[in-house]
Amino acid sequence: MPGAVIRARGLVKHFGRGQSLVRAVDEIDLEVAEGETLAVMGPSGCGKSTLLHLLGGLERPTAGEVWVAGRRIDTLSERALAGVRRRSVGFVFQSFHLVEELSAAENVELPALLAGCSPREARRRAMLLLERVGLAGRARHLPSRLSGGQRQRVAIARALVNEPLVVLADEPTGNLDTAATLEVLRIFAELRAAGQTLVIVTHDERVAATADRLVSMRDGMFVDDTRLAAARPRGLGGLLWPED
Amino acid sequence: MQDAVLAFLAKEPAHGYHLHTRLRRALGPLGESLNRGQIYVTLARLERAGLVVAERAAGLPERPERKVYALTPAGRERVAAWLNEVGWPKPDLAEFHLKLTAAAATRLADPVALVAAQRREVMRRLREVQQAALAEPAESGAGPLLEGIVLRLQADLRWLDACERAWSGAGDAAGGG
Amino acid sequence: MGSLLLAVRLALANVRRHPAQAAMLLLSVTVATATMALGLSLHGVSDALYAHTRAATAGPDVVVLSGESGPEVSAALASLTDRPDVVAHHGPYRIVYAELTARGAVASPVVVHGFAERPGPVNRPLVTDGRWVRPGGTVLERGFADALGVGVGDRVTIAGRSYPVVGIAVTAATSIYPWGAQIGPYGGPSDYTGLAWMTAADARALARSRDLPVTTAIDLRLRDPAAADTFRHTVPDDHPVRVFRPTFRSWQFTAQHDKVILRNAQPILVIGGWMLGFLAVTGVATLAAGRVAEQTRRAGLLKAVGAGPGLIAAALLTEYLAAALAGHALGLALARLALPVVAAPTASRIGDAEPTAGAVVAATVLAVAVAVLAALGPTLHAMRTATVTALAASARWPRHRPLLNALTAPLPTPLLLGLRLAARRPGRAVLQACTTATTVVAITVLLTVHAQRERGYGLDGSVALPNLRGLHDRRLMLAITVLLVALAIVNILTFTWTTAMEARATMAIARALGATPGQVTTALSAAQLLPGLPGAVLGVPLGFLVYLLFATGNSVPPRPSWMAGAALGTLLATAALTALPARLAARRSVARELAAEAA
Repeated sequence: MPGAVIRARGLVKHFGRGQSLVRAVDEIDLEVAEGETLAVMGPSGCGKSTLLHLLGGLERPTAGEVWVAGRRIDTLSERALAGVRRRSVGFVFQSFHLVEELSAAENVELPALLAGCSPREARRRAMLLLERVGLAGRARHLPSRLSGGQRQRVAIARALVNEPLVVLADEPTGNLDTAATLEVLRIFAELRAAGQTLVIVTHDERVAATADRLVSMRDGMFVDDTRLAAARPRGLGGLLWPED
Repeated sequence: MQDAVLAFLAKEPAHGYHLHTRLRRALGPLGESLNRGQIYVTLARLERAGLVVAERAAGLPERPERKVYALTPAGRERVAAWLNEVGWPKPDLAEFHLKLTAAAATRLADPVALVAAQRREVMRRLREVQQAALAEPAESGAGPLLEGIVLRLQADLRWLDACERAWSGAGDAAGGG
Repeated sequence: MGSLLLAVRLALANVRRHPAQAAMLLLSVTVATATMALGLSLHGVSDALYAHTRAATAGPDVVVLSGESGPEVSAALASLTDRPDVVAHHGPYRIVYAELTARGAVASPVVVHGFAERPGPVNRPLVTDGRWVRPGGTVLERGFADALGVGVGDRVTIAGRSYPVVGIAVTAATSIYPWGAQIGPYGGPSDYTGLAWMTAADARALARSRDLPVTTAIDLRLRDPAAADTFRHTVPDDHPVRVFRPTFRSWQFTAQHDKVILRNAQPILVIGGWMLGFLAVTGVATLAAGRVAEQTRRAGLLKAVGAGPGLIAAALLTEYLAAALAGHALGLALARLALPVVAAPTASRIGDAEPTAGAVVAATVLAVAVAVLAALGPTLHAMRTATVTALAASARWPRHRPLLNALTAPLPTPLLLGLRLAARRPGRAVLQACTTATTVVAITVLLTVHAQRERGYGLDGSVALPNLRGLHDRRLMLAITVLLVALAIVNILTFTWTTAMEARATMAIARALGATPGQVTTALSAAQLLPGLPGAVLGVPLGFLVYLLFATGNSVPPRPSWMAGAALGTLLATAALTALPARLAARRSVARELAAEAA
């Protein structure tokens, strides 16, 4: 049995107070198994991004527990939390969030350097990852000179540079066109094949359809948790010629 | 199917074998289920209808795959007419809608559960198409077709969401009253 | 008209939304204009005070002095009154050189003028306290009395004899304290000397008691006071007075001589005013730059409803001008309050001190310049954005700087981020450097001014009576330095906060990637400190140059260790100051920052 990489118990996050209290995450229990690709779907404002932030230690819960790799993180100091984000978690965001002042390679290196990696080793890893996402030729470009899809691929490379236990992606294709979405999904498929644990928050069914497991969220709560069947090996003809 | 086969002959006469290859390439992963027999059956029907003529390739034994098919003038007209036609397949949503209505009225099934089951099925199909699309090289001619199917399925999922909202609301109203 | 009203309305809304910014502009302009107005008014005010005192005391047009005494001298001086251009006179009278001791301790050289109990038509000292001389009693010149800390009713010892102080008076016949002696004993050089009056008989008795040096003087009023300066040349060489080597003191000379005490004060204030104005522009421009994004958004908004970019510019300028002019008015009011103290460090003159017209004009120019320069950046940006949207979009992205990237690549990550952040705003980095340089210059000059050795005004240069000019300079320099450092502190806080706000996306990303709050704080501090470094290094030679501006032959040059200390101290203070807003910025919620950035 593969162990749980991420575990949440009775997770609650409230914003505001009194009349304007928002229960962004309301009593959620969750386990993400190693090597699993989990998609969290729901309409905007259902709390799925907040859930992701809680799981990655970007935000502290109002109540409940979060465990990453068997270590409880919701009680950690800001400094220790930064350590968790550096070593155990890789974030991918909808709006890429690349550091505009740094080149593609430098962006990828950044988490490695923050984690105390030597510049030479950081550069080696960055170049390997950029190669893997097909951007070795753009290593010296500033983000402003890259297309949306290229920026997101740099961001994915950056999320992977410290070999995190889990990659947390928040609407990774939200700002991308179809072709760029497919590129990103292809990279995710490769990661999945390599055994990388992935949690993807999305409202795009195309992205969710590629996951192993699909959780639907409404008003801060899970309303459905489905394990998607493996694709059938037979062809797709049935979709095309139903009447013949 | 007949119109598409005719249209593929409009450029130049072709063997049934080549026709099958070209059609399969255009359809990408969706063309896998298209077998050569279907093509020959279609070509035979078109020949009977006088839309194509078959010429036997010289010096070869009479075998169907050695026949070269070409359009007749009538066939040409039919292709032109087909290209200009604006017919569009109608989505058949009425049946599912009636299914839900009937389920609610007869209380034989929970409409919301039916919607959920249907969503899982659509999701499964979407997953298949999406995986096919991911496996497809970027320059494949079948890309737009796959995207079209994906978009249709996404539209279906949204419609199912709408159904769920409608029927769960109705259930609440009934339960409350 | 309608658009003007709209511009004013927008400006008011801006002030309401950014009260701190308006207040900062107001305060900086107040300080800068007050200092500038003070500095430029000094000479005019000194002239005005002299003129006022001269009118109130029937000041002579020319005082003729001789180093000798006796009936022949008096007769020769008196013969000057026969000239047709002399319309009135006072004297000849005795001037006795003695030592005065007050409160049993403070000793100072003094000249005693022997006057009639009922003064004549010329040189009638104005009694500001007590009464005029009577037998046995002395009247002290007001500036001298102030320095001694002596008032009416006290007793002073002059040449060993005790006299009651019966009055305090001012005169325009001599320069302000400590230049009460126009010539020294026997016509030689004089020391810092106070002035006292006695009856002519008492003065004679005083001189005889100890055989003190005595000179003789006569006060003349001319038909044409403007000709006082050239009067000496109209006295022929064979005139009897020439035998006694006369010294001619015109009223213009005396008025000019009053300003010796202000010789350093004026440049201190004027240069200080410019430096304050510069820091004001720097701080406010930085704040304004922080608003560029908002202004751009508003430009788009107003354009959508049909207003042009000109309106944005007008609203912005209105806002800044209003704040600057309010500060200007406040500054002038303050200058007026401070002028009597600043322009007249001694009490030897009477009259009201008003900022001169030239100073008011210069201060107005300064205020308007501050407002325009501060508003220039956002105004231009708002206008350019509204017209060429593409330009604005590209301006947001950092430029590609291969050299910088290559140079900074090996640095530790927080420093690398800090440097890249600083490089994104080269203009601000320059301003930061200038702020640091200005601070270092001010502190260096202050230290140098304090290091100067000077003669006190007491007997034999004793500092029991302090050197008023040096004291005045040091006080002014201290005030200017305090103001400069205060503005520099505000500026550094503004710089860091603005940079922190602009860099919050970058910093939030860095934290999402696992940067600790400490690393983020270091990066933000480094972004401020790195440009400050060349500023501090530049400030040292600049401070030395400013010193050379004031230096005279016997000035003590600033010690290198002080200058290095000033530079180092400024940098350390900058580091400490930047840490605070950086730390605050580093504590904001990462998730929210990222969400705000994406929105």
